[in-house]
Amino acid sequence: MKLRDIGIVYRKEMKDALRDRRALISMIVVPILLMPLLTIGIGALSAEIVGRAMEEVPKVMIVGGADSPGVTAELRAQSDIEVVPAAADYAQEIEDKRIRAAVEIPPGFDAALAAGTPAAVTVYEYEGDMKSGIAADRVQKFFRDLRDRTVRGRLESRGIPDTLVHPFDIKEQNVASPEKTTGEIVGGIVPYIVILLCLTGAIYPAIDLTAGEKERGTMETILSSPVSRTDLVFGKFFTVLTASLATAFLAVLSMSVSLGIGRGLLMSLTDGGRAGGFTLSINPESVAAVFVMVLPLAVLFSAALLAIALYAKSYKEAQSYLQPMTILVVVPTIVSVLPGVELSARLALVPILSTSLVSKEILMGTYHWNYIALIFISSCVYAAAALSIAVKLFEREDVLFRT
Amino acid sequence: MPNSPLISVRDLSKNFRSFHRREGLWGGVVNLFRREYRTVEAVSKISFEIEPGEMVGYIGPNGAGKSTTIKMLTGILVPSSGELLSNGFVPWRERTAYVRTIGVVFGQRTQLWWDIAVIESLKLLRRIYDVSQRDFDERIETFDQILGLRDYLNTPVRKLSLGERMRCDLAAALLHNPPLLFLDEPTIGLDVVAKDHIRHFLRAINQRYRTTVLLTTHDLDDIEELCRRIMIIDHGRLLYDGPLALLKQKLLRTKQVKFALRDKEQLPQLAAIEREGLKLERVDELTWRISFDRTRVSTADLIRQILGTVEIRDLLIEDEPIEELIKRIYAGEALHEVNS
Repeated sequence: MKLRDIGIVYRKEMKDALRDRRALISMIVVPILLMPLLTIGIGALSAEIVGRAMEEVPKVMIVGGADSPGVTAELRAQSDIEVVPAAADYAQEIEDKRIRAAVEIPPGFDAALAAGTPAAVTVYEYEGDMKSGIAADRVQKFFRDLRDRTVRGRLESRGIPDTLVHPFDIKEQNVASPEKTTGEIVGGIVPYIVILLCLTGAIYPAIDLTAGEKERGTMETILSSPVSRTDLVFGKFFTVLTASLATAFLAVLSMSVSLGIGRGLLMSLTDGGRAGGFTLSINPESVAAVFVMVLPLAVLFSAALLAIALYAKSYKEAQSYLQPMTILVVVPTIVSVLPGVELSARLALVPILSTSLVSKEILMGTYHWNYIALIFISSCVYAAAALSIAVKLFEREDVLFRT
Repeated sequence: MPNSPLISVRDLSKNFRSFHRREGLWGGVVNLFRREYRTVEAVSKISFEIEPGEMVGYIGPNGAGKSTTIKMLTGILVPSSGELLSNGFVPWRERTAYVRTIGVVFGQRTQLWWDIAVIESLKLLRRIYDVSQRDFDERIETFDQILGLRDYLNTPVRKLSLGERMRCDLAAALLHNPPLLFLDEPTIGLDVVAKDHIRHFLRAINQRYRTTVLLTTHDLDDIEELCRRIMIIDHGRLLYDGPLALLKQKLLRTKQVKFALRDKEQLPQLAAIEREGLKLERVDELTWRISFDRTRVSTADLIRQILGTVEIRDLLIEDEPIEELIKRIYAGEALHEVNS
């Protein structure tokens, strides 16, 4: 192995790649544009949708209540709902989304309220539908208020203090640091993006440098140069690795910038009560640590993609081999975000999944050094294995000149 | 190594294992589960020697084994059996040292990098082959004189025409001044002018540097203009190895006279020329061709007869095209006459 020859091959391939528009798009343009689009774009879109739903005054139907003019009049007076004339097929109307909710008032409700006998109102809603949920919430809030007022009135009339039914208050307080809150939210998505882009960034150059070279017919010419095949693989491998890491790095950079811009937007999205203590911040050290953990994974991807693409005869064949690789990588990263999946010694040996899990922890500010070491070493072993397979394949005539 | 051959090949063979595909849709399904491989002998026990300074043409139909031979000679492929010594090296065993002493051009591919300027590729090759800056400048100057490179040294390869690219590829292959040059179809796809340029250049470097050249080609004009010696390979076997002149002398029996009639009124008279030993063919309405065996018919007599029978505008006498001769060789005829 000659470092000088590896360097020559590397520089040549990089020079070539930087002049190739397709390579530039996959390596630079996609991650830079994709991230703001994902964070700000989707954030803005959902804020818009939720905002519109909140503004809308939902149509609510009152079923029954003919003998309870008091409560129906009060309901009609509510400004955040619109009471529509009653109809027998209210359930169907909710299902068809012509109205958002219905409330059934039992006969003699007003009278029962005055007499202090028990009564029950039923709220009909379409569960899972946001707008129906909002309507039902508003109706329920009205009845809760009515109940509270009634209780207070009854207690007052008997000279009993309010505290009898309100012995204590319950308050919620978030103990997770802002970093950890961000970790939970961003923690799932950052490793996912970094790992996935390490792969997608490597796919194009891996194909171009192997199957592409076969297709252009330049494989023979490069094999007839005085660069040993091992040096050739390493030169190509480092090119693919550079592309892979550059793609992931640019994506994180672009995401950090767009998160900064999109913070306000995201804040407006989160529940009002928690927004006060909630800040989005990615600690640069954690991101750097994540990159260190992802490094062996990027080596694994680059070497594996190079080996697989080398086996293909043509660009198209290589593409059809490498596309499923994306799914192979997406599945473990999604598993890592599932609730309840936590790092264990066994999971630490599963490539991709382990890196994704440990990255999530690192972004939350938790460093389990023994796991980190185990995962880093195991990933390095996988990466070395993939690299040696790639080198071996380059020595094989039946792979290089597959027809 | 005076007096010893530069390349010496003995009983060289190369086998490939190829997957036999069954036909049809069902065959395609069966292919997925049961694969049948057969061994194809791409090159079969060929032997030859090439002396320093020779220019040898290596011809054969598609799939005959030409490129496989070149790939073994350049160290890209490892032979299945046989001996091969080139420039004092066993190519595949000492590949990186060996390839520093050879130049290779694959006509349908380029060793220049597609998206970068020609000069950058050349500079990179200078580094790969450890050529000193002085030698580099000097050789670029020489190549420019013969090939006229300057105009497109700064153009990316993808923007060059095929002919321009081939010139640059030749310059790239010869940058380290190798004593041995392998050319795999160097003139394929080129126009007449470009072909002429390349041939001129090859003759020039052969004379100036005594570069030994082995070239494969489908264009027999390449051979006629460049090589005294040809090797013919088919189905992996070497069918002929010897001077082109001998092949022609022994095998070129037929000659052709092509002539253009003055007008249509001459057509009825043509029949009078026809006789045994002559083959009359129509090229277009007024142009006709007569092929004849030169051992049986005298060219002078035939021309006299043509001139006496019809009025013509133009007349051309030529040998049987060498393509026809090669076709006959490929078809299995003719060669025994030379070899006997």
